[in-house]
Amino acid sequence: MYGYYKPPFLVEQEGISISVENNGEHWIYRRTLGSDKVEKIILADGKRLIINPVEPLNTPKEITPNLLIEFEKTLLLAGGAKRKIFLTFPIEIGVFISDKGDRNIQLLDVMTLARQKFTLYGEVSNGVLCKHWKSKIYSISPSPDSLQEGIMELTLRNTSSDWASISKAVFSAYGMKLYYGSDGDAFMRARMDILNRNTAETSFELQHISGEIKSSPLRDFKARKEAFGVYSLQKLGFVPPKFYMGWGY
Amino acid sequence: MITDFDFLDISLPISNGTVTLGSVLKFILILSFSTLIAKILSLYLRRSLKDRVSKDMCETIIKIFYYGMLTIVFLSNLSLIGINPSALLVAGGVTGIILGFASQNIVGNLISGFFLMVERPIKIGDQVEISGISGYVTDIRIISTIIRTYDGLLVRLPNQQVFTTNITNIVGHPVRRFEYTIRIRYSDDADAAIFLIKDLIDKEPFALLNPSPSVFVSDLGDSWVNLTVRIWAPVSEWFGIKTRVLWNIKKTLEGNGIEIPLPQRIVRIQSDPKKIPEELMPPEKEIESVINYEERVLA
Repeated sequence: MYGYYKPPFLVEQEGISISVENNGEHWIYRRTLGSDKVEKIILADGKRLIINPVEPLNTPKEITPNLLIEFEKTLLLAGGAKRKIFLTFPIEIGVFISDKGDRNIQLLDVMTLARQKFTLYGEVSNGVLCKHWKSKIYSISPSPDSLQEGIMELTLRNTSSDWASISKAVFSAYGMKLYYGSDGDAFMRARMDILNRNTAETSFELQHISGEIKSSPLRDFKARKEAFGVYSLQKLGFVPPKFYMGWGY
Repeated sequence: MITDFDFLDISLPISNGTVTLGSVLKFILILSFSTLIAKILSLYLRRSLKDRVSKDMCETIIKIFYYGMLTIVFLSNLSLIGINPSALLVAGGVTGIILGFASQNIVGNLISGFFLMVERPIKIGDQVEISGISGYVTDIRIISTIIRTYDGLLVRLPNQQVFTTNITNIVGHPVRRFEYTIRIRYSDDADAAIFLIKDLIDKEPFALLNPSPSVFVSDLGDSWVNLTVRIWAPVSEWFGIKTRVLWNIKKTLEGNGIEIPLPQRIVRIQSDPKKIPEELMPPEKEIESVINYEERVLA
């Protein structure tokens, strides 16, 4: 489903139907997902549509820029150790409209097939609202349903000298960089630095995937494209791309 | 731009020289021009800060900038109207006392407004309840706070009142809890009802996983079993969920044969007023009859 489309077109997969039709004077964008239907009029010619995975923080409503991934099993990491694991994260599918050459991009629609749930990280008085996702821990890259789940390569680094018991990680959408392959799988690469007994810091690797082909067991690196993100279109202002986990991990 | 005003030679002798009508006009012109410039600069500042900081912070920065600029211009041009700023500082104590008595409420509101901006118990856009008035804070000015009530009325509260009264900030924390009491019949399976309600909450995206929701039997009433449902939700979404989930609970329970009972009262109509109903008979006799029955059985 992911890729570039020149109107008119119709794409259908897993109950999602996206189409752009010419209606004489203008174009009509239609999207159906179950009982949820979206219809928009496009008053422009020569545009193209981009469908790609986006940060999973836009549906049902954009109320937080943070994603909490809860590990299905608690993970113990020795002091000073560095390990790489794979997780899954929920996928949201973004539809963008753009000029040729990916200029002047505008978000048209966002949808998801993944379960949606929110949680609080921290205390009631000063905690942080997060989108919640529960993931298994994999030692090699899993093969989830590409329209529902993406793959996150997470590098854990314990900078303290104590054992770290890790059961969750929180990420900020402002730093997320998503990539998608020709087979439709979505991918993110992140890191989590354990600072001490109760605090950690998470961030995303901003370099392109093809930069470390040899070290990663993932398939089809070169075919991966960087996805347009909803948050990357917004002005960042003073929002830091890292997330400081101050209420435990 | 401001030229010589000496042709206006009407002068007023004061202790610090003379004040001409020209210098007064010049003072007024400078102040007006500065106000205009401050407003234009505030507009530009608002545009540049719009996407970078929160609305509340943006308004505070603009207000500090606007009033700061006007204060500097005012103080630096006081000599035009024959007032020496340094002398004003020396006389500040006495002037302060006089002004304090003369404009006690205004100064009180002004100082309260300053502390409201510094302490920030409320922010622009918050939902609050102050002195029995509930609504959204639309502006915090230097003298007053403006609230738009839920039914769309504009209420102006003096800052002194806001600062000295109890403030309930409904959106002060990121999440809040709400609860329902659901009644089911004694004949219904309470465990099944709890399971159905928990499943419904689990499907609701904005019903938070942590703090976790709770559903439990809270009371055994005269005619029904009370179930208490407690759900935590984001402050921006709680009211929508509260209304949506309640109706869904009702539909789900009824769809599974669990009904919300109407109040029941058993009324017995006695045809013979002299006859005592069985349940009102003295207990000794009942026990005796049971004993006799057991004795008979054993025998």
